[in-house]
Amino acid sequence: MSTADRTVDVVVAGAGYSGLNAARHLVASGLDVLVLEARDRVGGRVWTEVTPGGATVDHGGQWLGPTQDHLATLAGEFEAPTFPTWVDGANLEVRDGTRHEFTGLVPTSDADASADAVAALLDLDLLALEVSASEPWTHPDALDLDQRTVASWMEENVESRGARDMIATAVLAVYGAEPSELSLLFALGYAHGGGSMSALIRTAGGAQETRFTGGAQQLALRLAEELGDRVILDAPVVEVAHGPDGVTVVARRTAHGGPTTDGGPTTDGDPTTDGGSRQPWRVRARRLVVAMPPAVQARIAFNPPLPGAREQLAQHAPMGSVTKIHAVYDRPFWRDEGLSGQLIADTGAVRAVFDDSPDDAAHGILVGFIAGREDRRLEHAGPDGRRALALDELAFGFGPLAAEPVEFVEQRWSAEPYSRGGPVACFAPGLLTGCGEALREAVGPIHWAGTETATAWSGYIDGALSSGERAAAEVATALGAG
Amino acid sequence: MATTDEIAEAYADWQVRCNANRRLSKMLRGWDRVVHLAASDTGDGFTVTVAGSVLTDLVVGLVGQPDLVVTATSEDFADLFWGDLNPSEKYLSGDIILAGSSEDVMRLDAMSMVAFLDQ
Repeated sequence: MSTADRTVDVVVAGAGYSGLNAARHLVASGLDVLVLEARDRVGGRVWTEVTPGGATVDHGGQWLGPTQDHLATLAGEFEAPTFPTWVDGANLEVRDGTRHEFTGLVPTSDADASADAVAALLDLDLLALEVSASEPWTHPDALDLDQRTVASWMEENVESRGARDMIATAVLAVYGAEPSELSLLFALGYAHGGGSMSALIRTAGGAQETRFTGGAQQLALRLAEELGDRVILDAPVVEVAHGPDGVTVVARRTAHGGPTTDGGPTTDGDPTTDGGSRQPWRVRARRLVVAMPPAVQARIAFNPPLPGAREQLAQHAPMGSVTKIHAVYDRPFWRDEGLSGQLIADTGAVRAVFDDSPDDAAHGILVGFIAGREDRRLEHAGPDGRRALALDELAFGFGPLAAEPVEFVEQRWSAEPYSRGGPVACFAPGLLTGCGEALREAVGPIHWAGTETATAWSGYIDGALSSGERAAAEVATALGAG
Repeated sequence: MATTDEIAEAYADWQVRCNANRRLSKMLRGWDRVVHLAASDTGDGFTVTVAGSVLTDLVVGLVGQPDLVVTATSEDFADLFWGDLNPSEKYLSGDIILAGSSEDVMRLDAMSMVAFLDQ
């Protein structure tokens, strides 16, 4: 049988953590599964690379935090070594163009603004506790909360500009979006899914607490290895015909000299058996799991078209805008000066920085985030322009040594066609109350996974894993498997 | 190590500052709670009640059923109340431990930080 005629029980579109975990559970249920991945690698928004100089960098998701039980369990199962993110020393704050050092969670240079920000964050956290992480639209005031943005809430509830700037920096770092772009209801449900906004922005005791020795993609690679030739790379799904009897999935072929997305090598020949033809693959399946963000799903042509709510969801939940930069040094020199490597800034391109050095400190690495409006504005600066700007800002915080890294790499997620941005889809005002239920609601034989569909830790690796497990359970039940 | 009297004196100062703080009064609105303070080095215990948006006087001994339990050294309690200690730093390092519902922990964490910043 040629691949063009291949028939399986379930196709999984997307080999990020959600798709791989869905496939794993489906296989465990005894189902025949094929995973089609657009890129030339697995992991989705989690991608680890070793630089030419030998430094391991995570271009995307990288941390493990408390209560991220799905990720912790998988890490334990694969015996993936972890270590605490480096937090010893003073943190840096750049406020109004001035550099300050502080310890603890909250900058102290403008105590009044900081106190205002702490009080406002508490208000947000208490409000978030009232909003269901899985079904935010069920809140009694959901309509009101969904009509407002985080920015409009701040205008009404946060007195000082300094406090609003601090919260905006946190929002940029967490969502990759401006406060004015986010539905308040969405932001609250998302925060509740990780415990609280405070938990999302913390390093020790929060979402950035733990790192993986060797990078966070390793678990995806292990899952893919386990799935073997059920995972097909360089095969973006472009069309889905669906009906009561199942789906026919068409995947374009980007291997054999076709375009690649990440600049990396393509596989030479497909691991199935059609002899190198560049004909699209047609795979027939009883069920399809779409494991990707809504904005990426929007590029697939469905026949018949998806219900209106699902179409609207895909159109009004754009990805955040983020570029992740890594500056690699011979050693983490900032530690010698009593600095933790963490920096927050109220202006500039790089608004949040962490110490990303390996556990053995064989290199010193600072990882920084350019997000939201700045990320879009710097599109035309080009890689060299962004590098110069980022290093200038790092040097302002960490001193002149920071201006001279031995290596510098950036990952511009907004320009990555199979993510279209990052770290997560950002729901516009009015979307959740109008179309929220379409997020996970199966459309005939089509099921939805991806971290955006998670009922906890949405936007994180943990949420991706749980969403895959949930979608697999739906399919297994529907097919009477397992 | 701080004595009971030293902790009581520091708390009295903190109590006055907290109860005069407009921002804290707003944060404490509707949050009536019994808080036990347990000094890990001396074994001393204290009880603080939040009622009607104000902190009541410190009571020596663990009185009533607590909503929250704060465990720290006697020295850290005294330093916290004098405003010499950054509470978030001590929570992060595990030197101060809060036990209670997530909402209560969240509130006490934030209010102690505001008290520190607003002094």
